[in-house]
Amino acid sequence: MSTSSPRKLPSWLWLVAPYLALLVVFLALPLANVLVLSFHRYSPVSIWEPTLTVENYGQIFTPYLSAITLRTFRIGLITTGLCVLLGYPVAYYLARCSKRAMTIGMFIILLPLMVSAVVGSFGWIVILGRSGLANNALAALGLSARIDILYSESAVVLALVHFLLPLMVLPLTASIEKISVRMEEAATVLGAGPVTMFRLVIVPLSRAGLISGVLLCFSIAISVVVISALLGGRRGRLIGNEIYDQVITAANWPFASSLAIVLVLSIIIAMSLALTLGRRKVA
Amino acid sequence: MSVSSKLLRCYVYGVFCLMTLPLLVVVGVSVNPSARFEISLSSFSLHWFEQFFGRAEYVRALFAVSLPVACLAAILATTVGTLAAIALVRFEFRGRALVESVFMLPVLVPSILLGAALYLLFARLNLAGSFSLLVIGHTLIGVPFVIRVVSAGLTGVNPALEEAVVNLGCTRVLAFWKVVMPLLRSSIASGVIFAFILSFSDVNISLFLTGPNTNTLPLQIFSEIQWQGDPTIAAASTVQILVVTTLIVLAGRLSRKRLVY
Repeated sequence: MSTSSPRKLPSWLWLVAPYLALLVVFLALPLANVLVLSFHRYSPVSIWEPTLTVENYGQIFTPYLSAITLRTFRIGLITTGLCVLLGYPVAYYLARCSKRAMTIGMFIILLPLMVSAVVGSFGWIVILGRSGLANNALAALGLSARIDILYSESAVVLALVHFLLPLMVLPLTASIEKISVRMEEAATVLGAGPVTMFRLVIVPLSRAGLISGVLLCFSIAISVVVISALLGGRRGRLIGNEIYDQVITAANWPFASSLAIVLVLSIIIAMSLALTLGRRKVA
Repeated sequence: MSVSSKLLRCYVYGVFCLMTLPLLVVVGVSVNPSARFEISLSSFSLHWFEQFFGRAEYVRALFAVSLPVACLAAILATTVGTLAAIALVRFEFRGRALVESVFMLPVLVPSILLGAALYLLFARLNLAGSFSLLVIGHTLIGVPFVIRVVSAGLTGVNPALEEAVVNLGCTRVLAFWKVVMPLLRSSIASGVIFAFILSFSDVNISLFLTGPNTNTLPLQIFSEIQWQGDPTIAAASTVQILVVTTLIVLAGRLSRKRLVY
């Protein structure tokens, strides 16, 4: 079975060498550079000067930025929650339907993620705009109600859920598929209604999929740029937009770096939190 | 039970409708003759597609940047990823689990951070905005996916097949090339296709790494929306949808195996 022998050791190294080189030069080095930059003082002349400081991190606690940071986490949590609520029934359906229905369903669910966030956001702008399709439809029905959520947090959440639902549904479906239908039958025979069965059988047994879905959704939702730039307006700016503006427009690289580090740290904290919580429930 | 499964089905179909609605709206707007962002059920026109193919910045974004970058990134990611997958599946070495998780790093690091980090390092070397850095950035996000798909395919190929050919006097490399590669064709093909899609629809890395001459199609659409352009945006988005949809269908045809991501 195994093809390894003392003489084979160098050959696997040759095989992984190209990718390792890519990772070192184009991932590890740039990230290390960001970490180092984040502790340097900003200079309007030379972008950064070789003085070590932590004041970049201090700036995050100014009212303007702490509002943006809080909003980012709020939107991340709401989006993830909505993805769980919307995604669970869909994942259950996909895991239990026919092979053909699953192929088509997966295609439909994956499309928004695959096509690019820009295109989905554009669709939502056309739908939600002041004289957009939703409002025209309301007017055509003779209703005086108007939908006015474009350029607000709600629009960002809506587009984010649309974009990220696939990342929740995929791991959930994979987990639910592994649960034997017999377990459901047993629960039903013992008198559990569909909701009770779902709560007591499906949810606990698909926890692994839930955790990876939650992590994927949350980490991408808090690092989004394009969706919030197009749909959020001034009221929907997120950390990602701030990083982009600081890097490209303001050229304050040290501050942008400290924001990036904060983002990475939040993702790492979220991951370890989700993993420990998930493990505790098993015990 | 039947009531609840009917209810479930209605709910799921509702979600499906919501998922497709924005994309259908985009396609609808692209074939409407008026200059407003509306859908007309009575008339049909390809005027905005003519506009799309008549405007230099869109044509350049699609044919000179997005497509070549995605092709190169897909080929590079597949080559690098396949080699790594072979090492992970066919060789046993100390620390393999660690190497395996390190290899998934580009998925864990949000792509906007990857883009920003690459910009902050390589802008000093005047490489930001260059075609090659864009290709490398897109290669990185594709490799973990290729490794997953090809590893899954390779696990399904019995090593005894190679052993047999090696015992008959073939070299190990040639045995792999002649015996295993043909069996891996569909996995490698889906690796290529999805690495292509990841590059073709990326905005987060392109946002930082494109320059005036290397605008990708999604980024061109992004800036046109911000400058409130005309329904040519819808035509461009429809082109994007068509390319990606075709590729997903193609990938489905090529491999009957279910996608595991």
